[in-house]
Amino acid sequence: MNDDEHSDSNRMEATVRELLTEMKDASETIVDLAYASLMYNSKDIAEKVEEMDRDIDDMKFAIRTKILMAVRTKEDAREMTGVLQVASAADRISEAAGEIVKLLHVPKEERPFINEIINESDEKIMMTRISPKSDMAGNTIDQLAVEASTGTKIIAMKNRYGWIYNPDGDVKLRAGDDIIVNGSLDGFSRLKKFASGDLPWEFPEMEFAED
Amino acid sequence: MDRLDSMLLELKDTSEFMVDLAYSSLLYNNRDIAEEVINMEVKMDELGDEIQKSLLDMAQKNPESVMKAFVAFRLQIAIEDIANAAASIADVVLRGYASSPVIHMSIKESEWTIERATVSETSVLRDKTLGDMRLWSHCGMFVMAIKRGAQYIFRPDKWTALREGDVLIAVGPEESADYFIALADGSRKEF
Repeated sequence: MNDDEHSDSNRMEATVRELLTEMKDASETIVDLAYASLMYNSKDIAEKVEEMDRDIDDMKFAIRTKILMAVRTKEDAREMTGVLQVASAADRISEAAGEIVKLLHVPKEERPFINEIINESDEKIMMTRISPKSDMAGNTIDQLAVEASTGTKIIAMKNRYGWIYNPDGDVKLRAGDDIIVNGSLDGFSRLKKFASGDLPWEFPEMEFAED
Repeated sequence: MDRLDSMLLELKDTSEFMVDLAYSSLLYNNRDIAEEVINMEVKMDELGDEIQKSLLDMAQKNPESVMKAFVAFRLQIAIEDIANAAASIADVVLRGYASSPVIHMSIKESEWTIERATVSETSVLRDKTLGDMRLWSHCGMFVMAIKRGAQYIFRPDKWTALREGDVLIAVGPEESADYFIALADGSRKEF
Protein backbone atom coordinates (compact mmCIF):
# COMPACT_ATOMS: atom_id res chain seq x y z
CA MET A 1 0.00 0.00 0.00
CA ASN A 2 1.51 3.39 -0.92
CA ASP A 3 1.39 6.50 1.25
CA ASP A 4 -1.56 8.04 -0.56
CA GLU A 5 -3.65 5.00 0.03
CA HIS A 6 -2.57 5.02 3.66
CA SER A 7 -3.78 8.55 4.24
CA ASP A 8 -7.00 7.81 2.34
CA SER A 9 -7.64 4.91 4.60
CA ASN A 10 -6.84 7.01 7.70
CA ARG A 11 -9.30 9.64 6.53
CA MET A 12 -11.92 6.99 5.95
CA GLU A 13 -11.36 5.63 9.45
CA ALA A 14 -11.72 9.09 11.00
CA THR A 15 -14.98 9.76 9.15
CA VAL A 16 -16.40 6.35 9.98
CA ARG A 17 -15.41 6.77 13.62
CA GLU A 18 -17.08 10.18 13.84
CA LEU A 19 -20.24 8.91 12.18
CA LEU A 20 -20.43 5.90 14.47
CA THR A 21 -19.92 8.04 17.60
CA GLU A 22 -22.63 10.41 16.43
CA MET A 23 -25.01 7.54 15.69
CA LYS A 24 -24.39 5.97 19.08
CA ASP A 25 -24.98 9.22 20.97
CA ALA A 26 -28.02 10.13 18.89
CA SER A 27 -29.54 6.67 19.30
CA GLU A 28 -29.38 7.02 23.08
CA THR A 29 -30.74 10.57 23.21
CA ILE A 30 -33.57 9.82 20.80
CA VAL A 31 -35.07 7.16 23.10
CA ASP A 32 -35.07 9.58 26.06
CA LEU A 33 -36.70 12.23 23.89
CA ALA A 34 -39.31 9.77 22.64
CA TYR A 35 -40.41 8.97 26.19
CA ALA A 36 -40.31 12.69 27.07
CA SER A 37 -42.66 13.47 24.17
CA LEU A 38 -45.26 11.05 25.58
CA MET A 39 -44.68 12.20 29.13
CA TYR A 40 -45.30 15.87 28.28
CA ASN A 41 -47.65 15.18 25.39
CA SER A 42 -45.36 17.26 23.20
CA LYS A 43 -45.67 17.36 19.42
CA ASP A 44 -42.54 19.54 19.26
CA ILE A 45 -40.42 16.87 20.92
CA ALA A 46 -42.00 14.19 18.73
CA GLU A 47 -41.10 16.15 15.59
CA LYS A 48 -37.52 16.39 16.81
CA VAL A 49 -37.49 12.62 17.29
CA GLU A 50 -38.72 12.12 13.71
CA GLU A 51 -36.04 14.49 12.43
CA MET A 52 -33.29 12.71 14.38
CA ASP A 53 -34.58 9.37 13.13
CA ARG A 54 -34.17 10.62 9.54
CA ASP A 55 -30.68 12.00 10.32
CA ILE A 56 -29.59 8.67 11.77
CA ASP A 57 -30.93 6.95 8.67
CA ASP A 58 -28.83 9.29 6.50
CA MET A 59 -25.77 8.55 8.63
CA LYS A 60 -26.32 4.83 8.23
CA PHE A 61 -26.23 5.18 4.43
CA ALA A 62 -23.20 7.51 4.61
CA ILE A 63 -21.25 5.07 6.78
CA ARG A 64 -22.05 2.16 4.44
CA THR A 65 -20.85 4.11 1.40
CA LYS A 66 -17.63 5.22 3.11
CA ILE A 67 -16.83 1.71 4.19
CA LEU A 68 -17.62 0.02 0.90
CA MET A 69 -15.45 2.50 -0.97
CA ALA A 70 -12.47 2.00 1.29
CA VAL A 71 -12.32 -1.67 2.17
CA ARG A 72 -9.45 -3.41 0.40
CA THR A 73 -8.35 -6.40 2.40
CA LYS A 74 -10.10 -9.32 4.00
CA GLU A 75 -9.00 -8.06 7.39
CA ASP A 76 -10.52 -4.61 6.69
CA ALA A 77 -13.73 -6.27 5.64
CA ARG A 78 -13.94 -8.26 8.84
CA GLU A 79 -13.38 -5.21 11.03
CA MET A 80 -15.84 -3.09 9.07
CA THR A 81 -18.54 -5.79 9.20
CA GLY A 82 -18.61 -5.22 12.96
CA VAL A 83 -18.85 -1.46 12.46
CA LEU A 84 -21.76 -1.86 10.03
CA GLN A 85 -23.60 -4.12 12.45
CA VAL A 86 -23.29 -1.54 15.24
CA ALA A 87 -24.45 1.24 12.88
CA SER A 88 -27.50 -0.84 11.96
CA ALA A 89 -28.25 -1.45 15.63
CA ALA A 90 -28.13 2.31 16.36
CA ASP A 91 -30.50 2.83 13.44
CA ARG A 92 -32.89 0.16 14.75
CA ILE A 93 -32.94 1.87 18.14
CA SER A 94 -33.81 5.19 16.53
CA GLU A 95 -36.58 3.54 14.51
CA ALA A 96 -38.00 2.13 17.75
CA ALA A 97 -37.98 5.68 19.15
CA GLY A 98 -39.88 6.76 16.03
CA GLU A 99 -42.47 4.07 16.77
CA ILE A 100 -42.79 5.24 20.38
CA VAL A 101 -43.64 8.83 19.38
CA LYS A 102 -46.37 7.57 17.05
CA LEU A 103 -48.31 6.76 20.23
CA LEU A 104 -48.75 10.51 20.62
CA HIS A 105 -51.64 10.19 18.13
CA VAL A 106 -53.52 8.28 20.81
CA PRO A 107 -55.28 10.80 23.10
CA LYS A 108 -53.37 11.12 26.34
CA GLU A 109 -56.40 10.03 28.41
CA GLU A 110 -55.98 6.62 26.78
CA ARG A 111 -52.37 6.19 27.85
CA PRO A 112 -51.95 7.35 31.48
CA PHE A 113 -50.12 4.12 32.29
CA ILE A 114 -47.17 5.17 30.13
CA ASN A 115 -46.44 8.14 32.38
CA GLU A 116 -46.71 5.91 35.43
CA ILE A 117 -44.17 3.53 33.91
CA ILE A 118 -41.76 6.36 33.05
CA ASN A 119 -42.17 7.75 36.59
CA GLU A 120 -41.28 4.37 38.08
CA SER A 121 -38.32 3.72 35.78
CA ASP A 122 -34.70 3.56 36.97
CA GLU A 123 -33.99 6.50 34.69
CA LYS A 124 -36.69 9.08 35.20
CA ILE A 125 -37.66 12.04 33.04
CA MET A 126 -38.45 15.23 34.87
CA MET A 127 -38.89 18.95 34.20
CA THR A 128 -37.96 21.96 36.27
CA ARG A 129 -37.60 25.73 35.82
CA ILE A 130 -34.50 27.87 36.46
CA SER A 131 -35.38 30.53 39.04
CA PRO A 132 -33.83 34.02 38.92
CA LYS A 133 -32.42 33.17 42.38
CA SER A 134 -30.59 30.11 41.05
CA ASP A 135 -26.80 30.05 40.63
CA MET A 136 -27.41 28.06 37.47
CA ALA A 137 -28.80 31.13 35.67
CA GLY A 138 -26.17 32.80 33.51
CA ASN A 139 -23.89 29.75 33.31
CA THR A 140 -23.38 27.29 30.49
CA ILE A 141 -24.15 23.59 30.85
CA ASP A 142 -20.40 22.87 30.66
CA GLN A 143 -19.50 25.44 33.33
CA LEU A 144 -22.02 23.82 35.63
CA ALA A 145 -21.09 20.28 34.59
CA VAL A 146 -24.75 19.42 35.18
CA GLU A 147 -24.39 15.69 34.49
CA ALA A 148 -21.28 15.26 36.61
CA SER A 149 -22.75 17.27 39.51
CA THR A 150 -26.24 15.81 39.66
CA GLY A 151 -26.26 12.66 37.56
CA THR A 152 -29.03 14.17 35.47
CA LYS A 153 -28.68 14.99 31.79
CA ILE A 154 -30.51 17.86 30.10
CA ILE A 155 -32.21 16.21 27.12
CA ALA A 156 -34.28 19.23 26.10
CA MET A 157 -34.89 22.80 27.21
CA LYS A 158 -37.23 25.62 26.39
CA ASN A 159 -35.97 29.20 26.55
CA ARG A 160 -37.39 32.44 25.19
CA TYR A 161 -36.30 31.47 21.65
CA GLY A 162 -37.98 28.08 21.67
CA TRP A 163 -36.98 24.47 22.16
CA ILE A 164 -33.43 23.14 22.10
CA TYR A 165 -32.92 19.39 22.05
CA ASN A 166 -29.87 17.59 23.39
CA PRO A 167 -28.29 21.02 24.05
CA ASP A 168 -24.52 21.42 23.62
CA GLY A 169 -22.30 22.25 26.57
CA ASP A 170 -21.90 25.88 25.50
CA VAL A 171 -25.64 26.61 25.81
CA LYS A 172 -26.27 29.12 28.58
CA LEU A 173 -29.08 28.58 31.07
CA ARG A 174 -31.15 31.62 31.96
CA ALA A 175 -33.79 32.44 34.54
CA GLY A 176 -37.17 31.22 33.34
CA ASP A 177 -35.78 28.41 31.15
CA ASP A 178 -37.52 25.06 31.49
CA ILE A 179 -35.22 22.08 31.42
CA ILE A 180 -36.19 18.45 30.85
CA VAL A 181 -33.68 16.02 32.32
CA ASN A 182 -33.30 12.31 32.69
CA GLY A 183 -31.54 10.62 35.57
CA SER A 184 -32.14 9.33 39.07
CA LEU A 185 -34.84 10.70 41.39
CA ASP A 186 -32.15 11.46 43.94
CA GLY A 187 -30.16 13.47 41.40
CA PHE A 188 -33.29 15.31 40.32
CA SER A 189 -34.12 16.32 43.91
CA ARG A 190 -30.68 17.95 44.13
CA LEU A 191 -31.04 19.57 40.72
CA LYS A 192 -34.43 21.00 41.70
CA LYS A 193 -32.94 22.66 44.77
CA PHE A 194 -30.17 24.17 42.65
CA ALA A 195 -32.67 25.31 40.00
CA SER A 196 -34.95 26.96 42.56
CA GLY A 197 -32.03 28.67 44.24
CA ASP A 198 -32.58 26.82 47.56
CA LEU A 199 -29.07 25.36 47.30
CA PRO A 200 -25.95 27.19 46.07
CA TRP A 201 -24.41 25.44 43.06
CA GLU A 202 -21.27 23.48 43.87
CA PHE A 203 -19.01 24.34 40.96
CA PRO A 204 -16.84 21.43 39.84
CA GLU A 205 -13.24 21.47 41.05
CA MET A 206 -10.82 22.24 38.30
CA GLU A 207 -8.23 19.71 39.50
CA PHE A 208 -10.36 16.96 38.06
CA ALA A 209 -11.10 18.75 34.81
CA GLU A 210 -9.45 17.49 31.66
CA ASP A 211 -6.04 19.02 31.02
CA MET B 1 -49.21 -0.18 39.61
CA ASP B 2 -50.79 -3.40 38.37
CA ARG B 3 -48.98 -6.53 37.26
CA LEU B 4 -49.13 -5.62 33.58
CA ASP B 5 -47.63 -2.18 34.17
CA SER B 6 -44.90 -3.71 36.34
CA MET B 7 -44.01 -6.10 33.53
CA LEU B 8 -43.83 -3.21 31.05
CA LEU B 9 -41.66 -1.27 33.48
CA GLU B 10 -39.30 -4.22 33.83
CA LEU B 11 -39.18 -4.51 30.05
CA LYS B 12 -38.36 -0.80 29.62
CA ASP B 13 -35.67 -0.68 32.31
CA THR B 14 -34.03 -3.85 31.05
CA SER B 15 -33.96 -2.64 27.44
CA GLU B 16 -32.12 0.54 28.43
CA PHE B 17 -29.71 -1.35 30.62
CA MET B 18 -29.03 -3.81 27.79
CA VAL B 19 -27.99 -1.01 25.42
CA ASP B 20 -25.42 0.34 27.90
CA LEU B 21 -24.19 -3.15 28.66
CA ALA B 22 -23.94 -4.03 24.97
CA TYR B 23 -21.76 -0.98 24.28
CA SER B 24 -19.53 -1.96 27.24
CA SER B 25 -19.10 -5.46 25.85
CA LEU B 26 -18.06 -3.85 22.58
CA LEU B 27 -15.66 -1.37 24.18
CA TYR B 28 -13.82 -4.09 26.10
CA ASN B 29 -14.42 -6.76 23.46
CA ASN B 30 -15.65 -8.81 26.41
CA ARG B 31 -17.53 -12.08 25.83
CA ASP B 32 -18.78 -12.44 29.43
CA ILE B 33 -20.59 -9.14 29.23
CA ALA B 34 -21.86 -9.86 25.72
CA GLU B 35 -23.27 -13.20 26.88
CA GLU B 36 -25.16 -11.48 29.68
CA VAL B 37 -26.81 -9.21 27.11
CA ILE B 38 -27.92 -12.30 25.18
CA ASN B 39 -29.23 -13.91 28.39
CA MET B 40 -31.25 -10.79 29.09
CA GLU B 41 -32.61 -10.85 25.55
CA VAL B 42 -33.94 -14.38 26.15
CA LYS B 43 -35.69 -13.21 29.33
CA MET B 44 -37.05 -10.18 27.47
CA ASP B 45 -38.64 -12.44 24.87
CA GLU B 46 -40.34 -14.48 27.60
CA LEU B 47 -41.54 -11.36 29.35
CA GLY B 48 -42.78 -9.98 26.01
CA ASP B 49 -44.84 -13.12 25.39
CA GLU B 50 -46.34 -12.90 28.85
CA ILE B 51 -47.24 -9.24 28.34
CA GLN B 52 -48.91 -9.95 25.00
CA LYS B 53 -51.00 -12.78 26.47
CA SER B 54 -52.06 -10.59 29.39
CA LEU B 55 -53.04 -7.79 27.01
CA LEU B 56 -55.15 -10.09 24.86
CA ASP B 57 -56.76 -11.53 27.95
CA MET B 58 -57.47 -8.05 29.30
CA ALA B 59 -58.98 -6.84 26.02
CA GLN B 60 -61.15 -9.91 25.76
CA LYS B 61 -62.53 -9.55 29.28
CA ASN B 62 -63.00 -5.84 29.10
CA PRO B 63 -63.71 -4.30 25.69
CA GLU B 64 -63.11 -0.82 27.13
CA SER B 65 -59.48 -1.68 27.62
CA VAL B 66 -58.86 -2.31 23.91
CA MET B 67 -57.19 1.06 23.46
CA LYS B 68 -54.85 0.47 26.38
CA ALA B 69 -54.02 -2.95 24.97
CA PHE B 70 -53.27 -1.37 21.59
CA VAL B 71 -50.94 1.26 23.08
CA ALA B 72 -49.20 -1.26 25.33
CA PHE B 73 -48.72 -3.64 22.39
CA ARG B 74 -47.05 -0.95 20.32
CA LEU B 75 -44.86 0.10 23.24
CA GLN B 76 -43.87 -3.48 23.99
CA ILE B 77 -42.86 -4.06 20.36
CA ALA B 78 -40.75 -0.87 20.28
CA ILE B 79 -39.02 -1.82 23.53
CA GLU B 80 -38.35 -5.36 22.25
CA ASP B 81 -36.80 -3.79 19.13
CA ILE B 82 -34.41 -1.82 21.31
CA ALA B 83 -33.50 -4.98 23.22
CA ASN B 84 -32.96 -6.84 19.94
CA ALA B 85 -30.69 -4.07 18.71
CA ALA B 86 -28.68 -4.34 21.94
CA ALA B 87 -28.39 -8.10 21.43
CA SER B 88 -27.20 -7.56 17.86
CA ILE B 89 -24.42 -5.33 19.22
CA ALA B 90 -23.39 -8.03 21.70
CA ASP B 91 -23.43 -10.48 18.82
CA VAL B 92 -20.60 -8.53 17.16
CA VAL B 93 -18.45 -9.43 20.17
CA LEU B 94 -19.55 -13.07 20.36
CA ARG B 95 -18.82 -13.63 16.67
CA GLY B 96 -15.39 -12.06 16.99
CA TYR B 97 -16.01 -8.95 14.89
CA ALA B 98 -15.32 -6.37 17.61
CA SER B 99 -11.55 -6.08 17.25
CA SER B 100 -11.64 -2.93 15.11
CA PRO B 101 -9.96 0.13 16.66
CA VAL B 102 -12.67 2.17 14.92
CA ILE B 103 -15.31 0.58 17.16
CA HIS B 104 -13.21 1.04 20.26
CA MET B 105 -12.44 4.71 19.49
CA SER B 106 -15.96 5.63 18.52
CA ILE B 107 -17.29 4.45 21.88
CA LYS B 108 -14.43 6.14 23.73
CA GLU B 109 -15.30 9.45 22.05
CA SER B 110 -18.96 9.23 22.94
CA GLU B 111 -20.60 11.83 25.23
CA TRP B 112 -21.32 9.01 27.62
CA THR B 113 -18.12 7.35 28.67
CA ILE B 114 -17.80 3.81 29.93
CA GLU B 115 -15.13 3.43 32.61
CA ARG B 116 -13.56 0.62 34.59
CA ALA B 117 -12.11 1.17 38.06
CA THR B 118 -10.77 -1.19 40.72
CA VAL B 119 -11.71 -0.66 44.38
CA SER B 120 -8.42 -0.42 46.30
CA GLU B 121 -7.71 -1.24 49.93
CA THR B 122 -7.75 2.48 50.81
CA SER B 123 -10.78 3.43 48.69
CA VAL B 124 -13.72 5.22 50.32
CA LEU B 125 -15.97 2.89 48.34
CA ARG B 126 -14.64 -0.20 50.06
CA ASP B 127 -17.21 -2.02 52.24
CA LYS B 128 -19.86 0.57 51.37
CA THR B 129 -23.07 -0.19 49.53
CA LEU B 130 -23.90 1.48 46.23
CA GLY B 131 -26.90 3.02 48.01
CA ASP B 132 -24.58 4.62 50.61
CA MET B 133 -22.28 6.07 47.98
CA ARG B 134 -24.96 7.30 45.58
CA LEU B 135 -22.40 7.61 42.80
CA TRP B 136 -25.09 8.16 40.19
CA SER B 137 -26.52 11.32 41.75
CA HIS B 138 -23.15 12.58 42.98
CA CYS B 139 -21.11 12.27 39.84
CA GLY B 140 -23.42 10.78 37.24
CA MET B 141 -21.58 7.46 37.09
CA PHE B 142 -24.00 4.52 36.98
CA VAL B 143 -22.45 1.18 37.97
CA MET B 144 -23.67 -1.44 35.48
CA ALA B 145 -21.58 -4.39 36.53
CA ILE B 146 -19.05 -5.50 39.11
CA LYS B 147 -16.39 -8.07 38.38
CA ARG B 148 -15.55 -9.90 41.59
CA GLY B 149 -12.85 -12.51 41.05
CA ALA B 150 -13.93 -14.49 38.02
CA GLN B 151 -17.63 -13.71 38.57
CA TYR B 152 -19.70 -10.79 37.37
CA ILE B 153 -22.51 -9.14 39.28
CA PHE B 154 -24.71 -7.49 36.66
CA ARG B 155 -27.13 -4.70 37.46
CA PRO B 156 -26.08 -4.39 41.11
CA ASP B 157 -28.67 -2.72 43.37
CA LYS B 158 -28.35 -0.18 46.17
CA TRP B 159 -27.76 -2.93 48.73
CA THR B 160 -24.76 -4.34 46.88
CA ALA B 161 -21.64 -3.78 49.02
CA LEU B 162 -18.33 -3.13 47.30
CA ARG B 163 -15.24 -5.09 48.24
CA GLU B 164 -11.56 -4.50 47.80
CA GLY B 165 -10.50 -5.76 44.38
CA ASP B 166 -13.95 -5.32 42.81
CA VAL B 167 -13.74 -4.02 39.26
CA LEU B 168 -16.59 -1.57 38.67
CA ILE B 169 -17.88 -0.93 35.17
CA ALA B 170 -19.82 2.30 35.03
CA VAL B 171 -21.36 4.58 32.44
CA GLY B 172 -21.58 8.36 32.83
CA PRO B 173 -20.42 11.79 31.68
CA GLU B 174 -16.78 12.01 30.65
CA GLU B 175 -16.13 14.87 33.12
CA SER B 176 -16.68 12.39 35.96
CA ALA B 177 -14.37 9.64 34.74
CA ASP B 178 -11.24 10.81 36.62
CA TYR B 179 -13.24 11.55 39.76
CA PHE B 180 -14.79 8.08 39.70
CA ILE B 181 -11.42 6.39 39.20
CA ALA B 182 -9.87 8.49 42.00
CA LEU B 183 -12.63 7.44 44.43
CA ALA B 184 -12.00 3.79 43.57
CA ASP B 185 -8.20 3.84 43.70
CA GLY B 186 -8.23 5.70 47.02
CA SER B 187 -6.53 8.91 45.84
CA ARG B 188 -9.70 10.89 46.55
CA LYS B 189 -11.22 10.57 50.02
CA GLU B 190 -14.32 12.73 50.01
CA PHE B 191 -17.12 13.47 47.57
